[in-house]
Amino acid sequence: MTTTAIGTHLLTHRYGSHAALSDLTLDIREGEIFGLLGHNGAGKTTTVSVLTTLLRPSEGTATVAGYDVKREPRKVRAAIGYLPENVTFYNDLTTAENLSFFAELSGLRKPGARISEVLEFVGFTGHDRERVGTFSKGMRQRVGLAQALLHRPEVLFLDEPTSGLDPEGVRALRELIVRINDEWGTTIFMNTHLLSEVTKTCTSIGILRSGRLVHHGSLADTVGAFPTDDALERAYFASAESDAA
Amino acid sequence: MSGVLTAARHELLTSARAKSPYMLVAAFLGMVAASTFIGWRTTVTVSAIYDRVVADGLTTQPNPFTDVSALYYVRNTVIYVLLIGSLMAAALGVQSALRDRKASTAALVLTRPVSERAVRAGRLLGIGAILAILVVVTSVVTWVSVGAIVGHALTATQTLEVASFGALTWVLLMGFAAVGVASGMVFPRERTALLAPVVLWAVIAFVIPQLGTAARPVSLLNPVPLPAQGSGAFGWLSQIMAPFSITEHFKTASAALLESPYTGSAVASAAVVALFTLIALAAALVVRAARIEGGSHE
Amino acid sequence: MSELMTLARKELLDVRRDRVVWIVMAALGIAIVLSVVVASLDFRAQMADYNAYVAQVKASGSGVTPQAPQLFPLQLLRGGMEYVEVLGALFAVVLGYGSVAKERARGTVDLLLTRARSGMSILGGKLLGLGIVWAVVSLALVVVSLASVAVIGAAHIGLHEVARMLLAGAAAWVYVMFWTAIALALTTVTKHSTPALFGLLVAWLVVVLIIPQIGDTMDPDNQVPGGLFNALAIAKPDEQAVLAHFTSFESGRNALEVSSVSKLYERVTFALLGIKNTYTGQSLAFVWDGTFRNIYGAVGATLAAFALAIGAGRRVHTLRRSA
Repeated sequence: MTTTAIGTHLLTHRYGSHAALSDLTLDIREGEIFGLLGHNGAGKTTTVSVLTTLLRPSEGTATVAGYDVKREPRKVRAAIGYLPENVTFYNDLTTAENLSFFAELSGLRKPGARISEVLEFVGFTGHDRERVGTFSKGMRQRVGLAQALLHRPEVLFLDEPTSGLDPEGVRALRELIVRINDEWGTTIFMNTHLLSEVTKTCTSIGILRSGRLVHHGSLADTVGAFPTDDALERAYFASAESDAA
Repeated sequence: MSGVLTAARHELLTSARAKSPYMLVAAFLGMVAASTFIGWRTTVTVSAIYDRVVADGLTTQPNPFTDVSALYYVRNTVIYVLLIGSLMAAALGVQSALRDRKASTAALVLTRPVSERAVRAGRLLGIGAILAILVVVTSVVTWVSVGAIVGHALTATQTLEVASFGALTWVLLMGFAAVGVASGMVFPRERTALLAPVVLWAVIAFVIPQLGTAARPVSLLNPVPLPAQGSGAFGWLSQIMAPFSITEHFKTASAALLESPYTGSAVASAAVVALFTLIALAAALVVRAARIEGGSHE
Repeated sequence: MSELMTLARKELLDVRRDRVVWIVMAALGIAIVLSVVVASLDFRAQMADYNAYVAQVKASGSGVTPQAPQLFPLQLLRGGMEYVEVLGALFAVVLGYGSVAKERARGTVDLLLTRARSGMSILGGKLLGLGIVWAVVSLALVVVSLASVAVIGAAHIGLHEVARMLLAGAAAWVYVMFWTAIALALTTVTKHSTPALFGLLVAWLVVVLIIPQIGDTMDPDNQVPGGLFNALAIAKPDEQAVLAHFTSFESGRNALEVSSVSKLYERVTFALLGIKNTYTGQSLAFVWDGTFRNIYGAVGATLAAFALAIGAGRRVHTLRRSA
């Protein structure tokens, strides 16, 4: 019996009077790869921002790795890794200098060996003395994943991880995500609007529409209702139509 | 504590790699180095003028520059600290505060298990170390250049005075660096974030002393501190404005340390400068940052 | 021409929407008013001291009364003009920098380049737009200055004062346009905006504050509070006779001062408004005779800055995101 890695209850976040996220209730179990789908402006980034303690929820509760995001934000931060969309670094510093800074902020002493280990894991060796400012989007994304894994987080948050990558980059990152989950048992929460990414990577999905969760279930259950090649696409639009009705 | 030290080391590294503030640092170091020469050349000329005046039988007054201290040559350094040093410190503070915003790394820092204030304190500590290095360099340059001009090493007392002036300089610069950090926290745009401390500096350096002394703004760039006016409306205005006249207080305390003439209490003036820095540091630590997450919010 | 006007109109629209511009212009206006208040209070304090002295003289039975201090209304603007010299230049730098930096930040220069004839016309449009902004601001400062002298200084403002103040306003326009053009040029030719902003800040410090400060601090009369010659009890003619022996020092000091456009602007304005004693109550022809070299220098520097700004249009590709 696995325990809850991420749990929310009636979680709401408002920007002024506009509710970007309303009454979100989720239960993501340890070891899952959860994909949160939704159109642009559906509230995906707000959800990740609240769960990673970057935003304080307006109402409701949320726990990550057993810690309350409102009351124990620092413990939440110690337990998570985060790869933002379009990750960037201190351009004047090298890969190793950037990673060393983030590792030390996560409480790692003398993180050199750990940095080499994660860089090897993400397939990015030989660039640790190069300045990040010269890197391509794909290279930055790998360094980004490395910074998120430095302290072996229990839960990994990825915000649109394949956005802007070429097909080779997308495939390599997808394989890495599955490996992290397989080898380390890390729970992964992934935002995306690419249906194909979810079918190839995730074990469970949620569909967010205008700040509300309109579907939550395992990938098998979701696509099972539509036994065709474009099963998830049909499920996605079906959930949208039922929500509109 | 380790988060603070990590942030301080990071501040040192990133500031050293960022080339932009180097121009201000170079202007500061260059002018401090030149100021001894300017002071010496002027003093030599004024003494020659006095000799001419006496030879022409135009005065019986004593030479105001007889027995002038060797440290009198560096009085212009006080102005360069106020003019360039304070703006350089504010610019370093602004750059530090805006770094995460410009590099879009705020989310990476804020999802680490350290408080944002600890990171901010660490960065201030890092700026403090950078400013300390610059102050030590300027003090050594001053000590060597004055020694070269007068032809002998400074006495132990004078060396201590130069060191104390360096310490006072560091305190003032830390104040302006903290103002820069606070400004960078409040104003997300670089242009506004840099403009705000410069305008505050102009108010402190020009407007406030003008209200207390009726001096013209540019005359306040003379290293000789201006006495407050005691009569009429200026009497009470100068009383009210005195605590805010940070740059004039710095000039007074520096004049005392550099064996130049001054009026008022040097200790009280040094205390005002220190108080300004403490308040600015507190503001830099507690001020709420403007929204760090940029772009659209889904 | 219509393309230039379209670009200039768009610049005006941007400036109108920019809150920072409104705040800094208001700050400049307030600084001018404040310095007139201080100068007026100072004059009243001098008058009070004078009256007290006259009463003392009368009480002692002496029949000789010294001459009363005389108010020259435009002299009350000395502090205000110094604020234009220092803060006006800073704000001009900020305005010019912002105008180019925002194109780089927004990535809109590609859209302009596919429509405008050339990069030079883009920069020309910006210069024209900001020229109009500064013309309006200069005029507003002329009005604020005259009104504050009339209301706070309780002085009569005649045609003579209005004409001189308008000329001072024109000088201010030439001066701030120098800084605007330099900021446009430097921000365009540098690859990133931040180093440009720092470079401009250093240029402002050196030209506006440091060079005049060195000149001022090397002035023999500024070496002791109250003035060296006063301290030695030496009259003005004797002072000039003594200084005649130190012409190389003085001409070195002068050369340093005139290398700063700020000092040129200051000399012209102080002469126009009769702030410098030599020019108090003198005709405009006298002012011209005394300052035409400074006027040529300031106008020449500004025209050169215009040429730099428009020429920088050839490097406008540095503003493209892909650059």
